[in-house]
Amino acid sequence: MSRNEHRSISRRGLLKAMSAGAGMVALAACAPAPAVTTESESAAAPAAEPLTVLLWSSYSGKNGEAEQALVDKFNEEMAGMDLQVDYQVQGNYEETAQKVTAALQAQDAPDVALLSDVWWFKFYLNQTLVPLNDLIESQNVEVDDYHAPLIEEGYRQGVYWWIPFARSTPLFYYNREMFDAAGLPDRGPATWEEFGEWAPDLVSRNGDELEVAAFVHPDSASYIAWLFQGVAWQYGGAYSDPDFTMRMTEEETVAAGRFYHDTVHAYGWARPSKSIGEDFLNGFSAAMMASTGSMGGLRANAEFEFGTAFLPEHDFFGCCTGGAGLGILNTTDADILPYAMDYIAYVSNPENTVFWSKSTGYMPVRKSAATSDEMTSYYEEFPQFKTAVDQLELTRPQDSARVWVPNGDQIIGKGLERVTVLGEDAAAVFADVNETLVNEAAPVLETLTVVES
Amino acid sequence: MKMEDTAKMTQQYSQSSWQNGAVRRKDGASAANTQVSWVGHRRSRVSDGLGYAGMAVVLLMIGLPVYWMTTGAFKFDSEIYQLPPTWWPQQPTLQNFADAWTSVPFGNFYINTIVTTFFGSGFEIFFGVTSAYAFVFLRFPKRDWIFLILIAALMIPNQVTVLPNYLTVARELGWSNTYQGIVLPGASVAYGTFLLRQYYMSLPREVFDAAKVDGADHLRTLWSVVIPLAKPAIISFGLLSVVSKWNDYLWPLIITNREEWYVLPIGIRWLMVQEGYISWGPVMAGTVLVVLPVLIIFLYAQKYIVEGIAAGAVKG
Repeated sequence: MSRNEHRSISRRGLLKAMSAGAGMVALAACAPAPAVTTESESAAAPAAEPLTVLLWSSYSGKNGEAEQALVDKFNEEMAGMDLQVDYQVQGNYEETAQKVTAALQAQDAPDVALLSDVWWFKFYLNQTLVPLNDLIESQNVEVDDYHAPLIEEGYRQGVYWWIPFARSTPLFYYNREMFDAAGLPDRGPATWEEFGEWAPDLVSRNGDELEVAAFVHPDSASYIAWLFQGVAWQYGGAYSDPDFTMRMTEEETVAAGRFYHDTVHAYGWARPSKSIGEDFLNGFSAAMMASTGSMGGLRANAEFEFGTAFLPEHDFFGCCTGGAGLGILNTTDADILPYAMDYIAYVSNPENTVFWSKSTGYMPVRKSAATSDEMTSYYEEFPQFKTAVDQLELTRPQDSARVWVPNGDQIIGKGLERVTVLGEDAAAVFADVNETLVNEAAPVLETLTVVES
Repeated sequence: MKMEDTAKMTQQYSQSSWQNGAVRRKDGASAANTQVSWVGHRRSRVSDGLGYAGMAVVLLMIGLPVYWMTTGAFKFDSEIYQLPPTWWPQQPTLQNFADAWTSVPFGNFYINTIVTTFFGSGFEIFFGVTSAYAFVFLRFPKRDWIFLILIAALMIPNQVTVLPNYLTVARELGWSNTYQGIVLPGASVAYGTFLLRQYYMSLPREVFDAAKVDGADHLRTLWSVVIPLAKPAIISFGLLSVVSKWNDYLWPLIITNREEWYVLPIGIRWLMVQEGYISWGPVMAGTVLVVLPVLIIFLYAQKYIVEGIAAGAVKG
């Protein structure tokens, strides 16, 4: 036994002995059954011990049930191989990512983790993700069948790191009854200018107070920086280039910011809101931009007919991707790796992606799924969803400033709040935001050159 | 024999304080209009009015969210979002409770919360009661310095200790997903020692002298004299401890990552769906389910707290 080994064991032993002295023995003795039984079962039959792929995820409610159903189906099909996926919900995207970070420290990490658009890159930077190219080849995963903007977001240096699973995009929602009552056509506006012409017919005021708005802007906590990203692109601007060159102060980006400012403070047909979904649902706003992932909840709760449309254009069309995907952590045992990849491929295969999309409202991540018979009949039943899938072809991966700069989403979001809520000039605000982003990006760039050299 | 005398004295002391407290309370209730206030001025209608206004404000601030939560639990989602808000559920429903119960394994979470709260608070109270005794009744070198260090520990924010605790408990001990992992880091908190030490110091010295004369050793003194006398303080502290363990979210969230080990506050978090639309009805219903047991304990233990305040008033 080496010196080191001896030391570490005695340290653990010491801590245990200390806590035992503090009366913990009694407590340990009444540890409940679950974990213990699985251990003793596998100990009783060591030959048939199933391999376990530990999966950490973020969904509860309807989405959680759907993901559980996928896991159950996979386990059933793999029963002959003595393979099991152990599905454990950890909390929302942020909590899941933080717990994975902590668990990596404690050598207690899962094999597969659901990581959101803003989180996977941090694990990539810290070199804790497994490069997937070899596994994709050995397990025959058809990467070409994934929608390009979705799979490309998790692709760097010629390597796939992050596979799309629960992906969403912004979408334009409108209240059909209110549009009808205002004598407007039953479609979304082609351009923001057109919506600007419609808007006065949609609003109603109580004195100077805007009672029913034509449009609502969310706050930073509800990801205004995600939704505004497309608008910046529509004006020909952007938050940044892929190489972290910040573009917040460019004329076009500022023009988009001024447009947001004017909707509230000059034209007066839009309003900043704490919860745009609730405003829309209760008829306090005639339209909104929101995630496709909100469609299920809207469908269940809206007491009016709502329509969906592509995002309005300005000089260009612009719409970003979002949501979460799956990655494999490099603490995974080598004999588990192929099965971890199998699971990821399985839940995003054409058949299952249709099931997942229908249950949750997330986008079908595979091209062949979007045109499958089942999906086609679903479009007829729920045409609003088809709009979202059609728009998917036109989306673009997000700007590095939002997803790869630490806290970038909130930095930009807080800036946008200053524009929409406080009515500050976009040029001044975006200059501040630009500076903060440059500072925050510096350490990332440094790490990145090391990682990718 | 002699021991019994001490016991009797203890009992008398606590009884008399209880009775005095009761009398004082009755006085306060029946003769509020004419009573002379603490500083000796006659109470005017204006100050009475201000007092009631203050109480009303506090009641609204504390009561309104609770009222909103409780009524929200019985409303359909569409009614919750309705503007202007309805103050009473127009179509009362129990559906939210059923939804909350089926979408989260609350039964399992209840068991975990009960076990961790029982042991967590049990240890906290045990360590608080005994260490406070040591600080007040034992003489050892540098006692005040050690107490000062303990007070300093109170000043360290919880958030700072989370990471080192996690590394110790999860990595060194391998105790993630265990009851001891959830309970241990919060088993002893300086707050309890501090609170009880201050209370012990206010207890009448004569009783302890009598106990010493009767030949009581430390354990006997603690058990037969200190604990009965300090019961109101211990129960108040215990209640705070139970509530904080019951509602603890951050630590159990970090140290557990398997469903069979999750506790109730994590269950409420589950009811809030990721990305999209939160259905508040079940969230409110789930919160009511979680709050209810603590509320019952609180109502039950309330009389001891009032007793404690009354006893304090008599001494002052």
